[in-house]
Amino acid sequence: MAAWTWFHRLGSPPHVFAFARRWTPWFGGFAAVAMLIALYGGLVLAPADYQQKDAFRMVYVHAPTAWLSLMIYSTMAVAAAVGLIWRMKVAHAAAAACAPIGAWFTVAALGTGMLWGKPMWGAYWVWDPRLTAELVLLFLYIGYMGLRAGIEDPAKADKASAVLAVVGIVNVPIIKFSVDWWNSLHQTATVMRMGKPTMDGDMLWPLLLMFVAFASYFIAILLIRLRAELLRRERNASWIREVLS
Amino acid sequence: MSEFFAMGGYGQYLWPAFALGFGIVILNVVLALNSLANAKQEARRRLEIPQ
Repeated sequence: MAAWTWFHRLGSPPHVFAFARRWTPWFGGFAAVAMLIALYGGLVLAPADYQQKDAFRMVYVHAPTAWLSLMIYSTMAVAAAVGLIWRMKVAHAAAAACAPIGAWFTVAALGTGMLWGKPMWGAYWVWDPRLTAELVLLFLYIGYMGLRAGIEDPAKADKASAVLAVVGIVNVPIIKFSVDWWNSLHQTATVMRMGKPTMDGDMLWPLLLMFVAFASYFIAILLIRLRAELLRRERNASWIREVLS
Repeated sequence: MSEFFAMGGYGQYLWPAFALGFGIVILNVVLALNSLANAKQEARRRLEIPQ
């Protein structure tokens, strides 16, 4: 019963709007503090790597942005699927709110990866499976936003873009496991793998903290964008009068 | 201090990467807040709510 009430509330725009407004500062504040501590841990406290020396510190910006680009896509696809199955407007709004954030973090993952690739591999870009699949992810995000922008009727835009988001999810495991399935230049997983992470504790904790910080940051940004989406979608709703006056 | 910024000779790649990554972190805060402000303004206009 409680679960049903919770699910029902999740579909109610005024409830979600109020929830988003209340929780944004908490998620945002925590993310900012955690990012600063993780940066200090990664750039100052962690020792240099025995092979990559100080260049390994790239991991503290590259891995969290790349991980976020995948996590945001997964969130977007799940929200889109919920929107398709239960015809929930809030879910479609959440999916639409995810796309620009995800696209930006895919750009960050590609850009920071290029800057790591140059000193380690000797080239900014190689047509490696991991890099190519991540580039496809960027095109999926852009395609999703383009599709939404191209369809005037919001209900039709929701449906069409949701189908694209759900189908595109096949790319997520391809990116994740590309380094295991093919002979990739990209290094294999260090942290998110079966068994223990192959990283020393002094290097590991700032990275794990950075992951948590980025997750919290994403929730904060998503909640802000979700509020904007809900305001744009709701027509003549009395609750909007209440929250805006 | 200059040793820290040199990062063992990798500073020229490392710092631009951090600037790009965290620049996008900050940019997304600005873009999201802008989007919310625009949506509010547009909703006020649509529903004729006084500023």
